[in-house]
Amino acid sequence: MDEKIVPYLEELNRERGDLEKTGISAEFNKLLAFSMPKDVAKESILSKLGGKKKVLKVKDLSANLKNFEIIGSILDLEEKTISYQDRTKEGTSKIYVGILADETGSVMFSSWKNLPGSIGDIVTIKNAYTRTWQNKIRLFIGKQCLVSKIADSSLLHLSKLSESQPKKLLDIGAADFSVGTVACVLQFSNKEVLVKGRQSRVASGVLADETGRLPFTSWIELPGIDIGSIIRIEGAQIRMFRGMPSVNIMNSTKVSSIELEEARKLAFTFESAGKDPSPMRIEEIVSKGIMFDVITAGNVISVRQGSGIISRCPECGRAIQKASCRVHGKVEGLRDMRIKAILDDGTGSISVMFPRELSEIIYGKTLEEAEKLMFSDVSKDAVYEDLRYSLTGRYIAVRGNSSKGEYGIYFVAEKAWVPEDDLVVRVVELLHRLGPDEEDGKDRNSQISSGRVGFA
Amino acid sequence: MLKREVAKRVFAREFEAFRELEKSVISDSEAADSKTRNLLISPLGLILNRVFIVGVITELDSVGTLNETWKARIVDPTGAFTVYAGQYQPEASIFFSTVQIPAFIALTGKARIYEPEPGSFYVSIRAEEVNVVDEKIRIRWVVDTAEQTVERLEAFSEALASGHRGEKIRAYLLERGISSDLAEGISIALEQERSPQEFVKLLRSSIREGLRSLDFDSEGNAGSKADQKEFVLELLREMGGHSGVDYAAFVDTAISNGITYQFIDEVVRSLLAGGQCYEPKIGIIRLIS
Repeated sequence: MDEKIVPYLEELNRERGDLEKTGISAEFNKLLAFSMPKDVAKESILSKLGGKKKVLKVKDLSANLKNFEIIGSILDLEEKTISYQDRTKEGTSKIYVGILADETGSVMFSSWKNLPGSIGDIVTIKNAYTRTWQNKIRLFIGKQCLVSKIADSSLLHLSKLSESQPKKLLDIGAADFSVGTVACVLQFSNKEVLVKGRQSRVASGVLADETGRLPFTSWIELPGIDIGSIIRIEGAQIRMFRGMPSVNIMNSTKVSSIELEEARKLAFTFESAGKDPSPMRIEEIVSKGIMFDVITAGNVISVRQGSGIISRCPECGRAIQKASCRVHGKVEGLRDMRIKAILDDGTGSISVMFPRELSEIIYGKTLEEAEKLMFSDVSKDAVYEDLRYSLTGRYIAVRGNSSKGEYGIYFVAEKAWVPEDDLVVRVVELLHRLGPDEEDGKDRNSQISSGRVGFA
Repeated sequence: MLKREVAKRVFAREFEAFRELEKSVISDSEAADSKTRNLLISPLGLILNRVFIVGVITELDSVGTLNETWKARIVDPTGAFTVYAGQYQPEASIFFSTVQIPAFIALTGKARIYEPEPGSFYVSIRAEEVNVVDEKIRIRWVVDTAEQTVERLEAFSEALASGHRGEKIRAYLLERGISSDLAEGISIALEQERSPQEFVKLLRSSIREGLRSLDFDSEGNAGSKADQKEFVLELLREMGGHSGVDYAAFVDTAISNGITYQFIDEVVRSLLAGGQCYEPKIGIIRLIS
C-alpha cells in the first residue's frame, strides 16, 4: 500500500471500523485510480456511507436510513434460499431473515451474509440500513456491514425482550415488529376491501392514550368493540400506511376489553384521551419526525413554488404538467388548488401542505375566484404572487400529521386557523419572569406607558 | 437529510450585538465544514444564520453606485434592524420599490456582518421574503420573541451562575433540557464575552420596556393610533410653529401626556421620512407646512 494514503485510510478506519473486510480500502484505491484527490476521495466515501456515525435504537428506526450502528439481541433467525435471474447469470443465493430486539422494541431484518451469532446472541451491527418492504420497515444487513457478537449485560434479559411489552402510544416506533398497548378507541369504522382477491371486512380507526394517538387497522373481526372501548392489544404489528405507522391487528394478535375496575386505574379516560391534543413547538415535531394528529403554529415565512392552481391526473390524482401525467401520459387534467408553505416558529421549520378546502379558507378565495384571477392576468404566476402577498408573515395554527421526507419534515394539514390565544396573559407572565425594574430610575418611559396599557 | 435553517426570533437590541462565529470553535465537525453557511453568535449564545422579524419600516434609501440596492430601517420595540435587498433579491427589491412608509412588515432574511475597521461592526439582514402585515402579527411577534429571548436569558444566567465552563457547561445545560445548539452557543459565548452581566441587564430592561409598550386595545386600535398621531402633530405645531422645537423638550412634554417614547419616535421618523418635517440643526425639529 502507498505510504501517502495511509493517514487517510486511518481516518476512515476510525469512522468505519475494519477497512479490508468492508471493502472500503478497495473502493478508496479505485477512486484514486481515477486520479481523484485523496481528501476528496475520503469525503466521497464518507458521504456515500452517510456521513457521521450514529448509534440508533429500534424505536428510532424509520424508512430509508443508512449507515447507522445498532445493538440488539437476535430473537429469531432463519436461512432462506432465493433464486435470482439477471442479464448475465442465474443462480441462487442465501439470505438470513430474523428479528432483532433491544429494550425499545423489535424489528425484522434481512441479512445478505451469515451472522456471527445465533438465536439468543447479542450483536453489534455497523453500517446497517433500512428500507420499507411490504409496508413494513425492515433492517438490512448488507455486504458492507460489520457484525460482531458481544456480551452486553446492559441489555435487558432475553426473555423480557421477546414478550411484547405494553407501551405508551408515543413510544411505539415505526419499525416495531410486535407491540402491545392499552388504549382507547377514538374512531372506528368498518369497510369491505379486496385482500388477495377475496372480499374481506376490515375495521380501522384511531387509538389514543395520554401520550398520543395512532391509527389502527384490524384484519379480524372485533366483536363488542366500538368508539369509547378501552382495549388491551398484544402482539400487534406496525405497518406503514401513507407514510404513517399504523397498528395492525392480525390473526395472531390478542385483543381484549379492559374491565371497568381496571380502567379506573389508567392515566386516561375516553374523555381525556378524546380531547384536542395540546399545541407543540415545531422543534418537537422536527425531532420526532413522524407524528400523528398534532397541533402546532407558526409564521408563514415562505410560500413555495407549486402553490396555487394545479392540474391533477384524473386517473391517479398526481399533479401534472403540460397536460401529461408521468404515469398515464396525455390526460385531461382536473383543476385543484393547494398551498405549500414553510411554517416556522423560531424553534424549527416544517413544510406544510394545505389541501384545497384549507387553502380556500386561509387564502380567502375559492378555486373559482382564483381561476378568474389566473385568466385576468397575463403573468402565469398571478395566483402564486397573490398567495405570497396574502400569506407571507401570517401566523397560522395547523392540525394534522407530520412525516419525514428527503428535504425535512412534511406536514399535511387537516385543519388550519388563526389562533386567538390570550397574549396579555403571556406578557404578564414574561414581565414576571423578567423580574422587577432596576432601581436606577431609567425606566421612566415604560412606567408611563404601562399606565396606559393598564395590565402591568 | 438537508435541514432548512430555522428563522430565529431576535430583538434588534440583541441582533446588533451579534458577532461572527469562528468555525474553529465549533465542536461538531459537520458544522465546522468549510462549505457550511456563515453563522453569527450573540453575547447570549444564540447561533443563527436566518432571522424572521416583524416591525415598522421607517426609512428607505436606494444605495450603491447605480442605486441598485435598497437599504431599509425596520424598528422593533428595542431598536432598529438594517435590511438590504440588492439585485440578487429581486422579489424583496420589488417590494421595497413599492412599499408605503411607515408600515408594519414581516421579513425573513440572512444575517450579515461587515467590519470596515477592527472593532467597528455593522450587523444587517439580507432580505429573502418580505410582506406587509397587520399590527396583530407585530404584537404576536414581540411576545413570541420576548418569550424565546427570556428563555435564553434564563439559560444563560443559569450557566453564568454555575461557574462551569467548556465541556462541563454543555453537559450541565443539556441536563437541564436546553437544546444542544444553545448549549454549544452558550459555552462559546462564555469564552468570548467580557461583561455578559451588563448585556443581560440591558436586554432585560429593553424587553420589559418593549412588552409594556404593546397596545392590546386592538378593536379601537387604528382609531386611537390615529388620534395619538394627530396629537403628536398638534403638539409639534403648538410648541414650535415654524421656527422649530427642541426635540428633547418635545419628547418630555409628549411623554407627560401619556404617549410612549417609541410612538413619538415612530411618528417623527415617519414625518422625517415623508418630508413633512426636517432637522435644521441637530436636536431641532421643524414642521414644513
